[in-house]
Amino acid sequence: MSLDDASVIAARVRAGSGSARDAVAECLARIQATEGRINAFSATLAERALKRAELIDAHPQRHKMPLAGVPFAVKNLFDVAGLPTLAGSKIERDAAPAKRDALLVRRMEAHGAVLVGALHMDEYAYGFSTENTHYGPTRNPHDLSRISGGSSGGSAAAVAAGQVPVTLGSDTNGSIRVPSSLCGVFGLKPTFGRLPRVGSYPFVASLDHLGPFARNVQDLALSYDAMQGPLHGPASDDPACAQRPIEATLPLLEQGAQGLRVAVLGGWFREMALPEAGDAVDAVAQALGTTRLVELPEVERARAAAFLITCGEGAQLHLEDLKKRPQDFDPMTRDRFLANALVPAAWVMQAQRVRHWFARRVARVFETVDVLLAPATPCVAPVIGTEWLQIGERKLPSRASMGLLTQPISCIGLPVVTVPLWGMSSANPHLPIGVQLIAAPWREDHALRVAAQLQAQGLCSAPIARGL
Amino acid sequence: MDHSAYVDAAAATLGLKIAAEHRPGVLQFFGLAANMAALVQGLPLQPHDESGSVFHPVPPQGVERP
Repeated sequence: MSLDDASVIAARVRAGSGSARDAVAECLARIQATEGRINAFSATLAERALKRAELIDAHPQRHKMPLAGVPFAVKNLFDVAGLPTLAGSKIERDAAPAKRDALLVRRMEAHGAVLVGALHMDEYAYGFSTENTHYGPTRNPHDLSRISGGSSGGSAAAVAAGQVPVTLGSDTNGSIRVPSSLCGVFGLKPTFGRLPRVGSYPFVASLDHLGPFARNVQDLALSYDAMQGPLHGPASDDPACAQRPIEATLPLLEQGAQGLRVAVLGGWFREMALPEAGDAVDAVAQALGTTRLVELPEVERARAAAFLITCGEGAQLHLEDLKKRPQDFDPMTRDRFLANALVPAAWVMQAQRVRHWFARRVARVFETVDVLLAPATPCVAPVIGTEWLQIGERKLPSRASMGLLTQPISCIGLPVVTVPLWGMSSANPHLPIGVQLIAAPWREDHALRVAAQLQAQGLCSAPIARGL
Repeated sequence: MDHSAYVDAAAATLGLKIAAEHRPGVLQFFGLAANMAALVQGLPLQPHDESGSVFHPVPPQGVERP
């Protein structure tokens, strides 16, 4: 059975040495063979996907399609025509089926990719573990007793399990970077406002980002480039969309980190990490030949700002359902949504001002550095059901703590590539952990170039989980 | 700090019923949010330190920029 990466599949289909239909059929077979152990998919679309693949095979422009015949799947907060957009909930099962695919799904398919399914997530994207009570936990393919991370847990697990070479997810406070780290795959959270969110279910509109997962940097850049570009419909369909032109990154990867100034983030980003996370950052810094340390001001307050904005916006969105049918919420989210609905406006407005204050201070840091390094998670993947995490003297709730190191960064919308490292935990050498490569706004290319170099040096990789 | 009086009053004002079995969790998570609020309120800001949330006016479709 073929478990090829996206670039390999696309090259074969473009050249005519392989078919999109075969690539999709192999992918569907892999999903069927492994899904009982992983639980990544909420829906598979065999009929639609095979039909689409046949259209690609017969397409006269197939040889020009950068994603020709590449199977992919999306977090189930993306609209898929004919399916209700679940966003990990039970409540949305009652919603009318989507009339058309989300914009990013359409862009992927316009470049030759083939959608094969929708993927599990935490309810309404409010979580870092994908231990969804309604649909069961999505298991980490590298250790089935452990969480996949979240909220885009299905998106990371499906790539790590070799079910699909590329997936899409969303990241509000860490929901691409946390599962990338715990499942050992590459993930890109672009700059806030880069990729339009038309046709995706919101969590916190002023913090939501969309982005891809893949098993190598080339596939990540290939997918990201295919999704870039301004909205052609009303800009008000996604008020946060910055309407940037396409700025292709794939041709820049071969430049590697040459000429880029790289530094390690200290302070909060070292204090809130277990040794395996710090060691992973040190390994990346060493590979890049940097010893420079940078501290950002008031990181804990920035994290608090993201937390409160999430409280206010996230709960308000669901207020009517919280009033009418609280029993239908996942117990993992319900009490938090209820509490968050009561948060005073003054706290949320102050949080928005702190967010802007922090963004301005961090912009000054990027005047003298191009890429900052930080752990993506404080530790490797916890066992499913873990309630507490000990970091130094602090005993912290485990699930929420998975986002301690990502939340201050997405708060100010910086682009981040998460790269996976292995063997950093002496107790669990079979588990991966991710490092965030953080760039200035609109410089996804910088983070991707550094990721490409680390991959070429052999330090970062995303092997398919064995024994599934 | 005990937030229970505020939580009960705010829930009643919003028309949000908090079932008895959910109240301890709600109070716990509201307390967590209050701790986060103490952090953001602790940063001294000036009047010109504006919000990170920006409204974009919506022009009518098909109207060219002057």
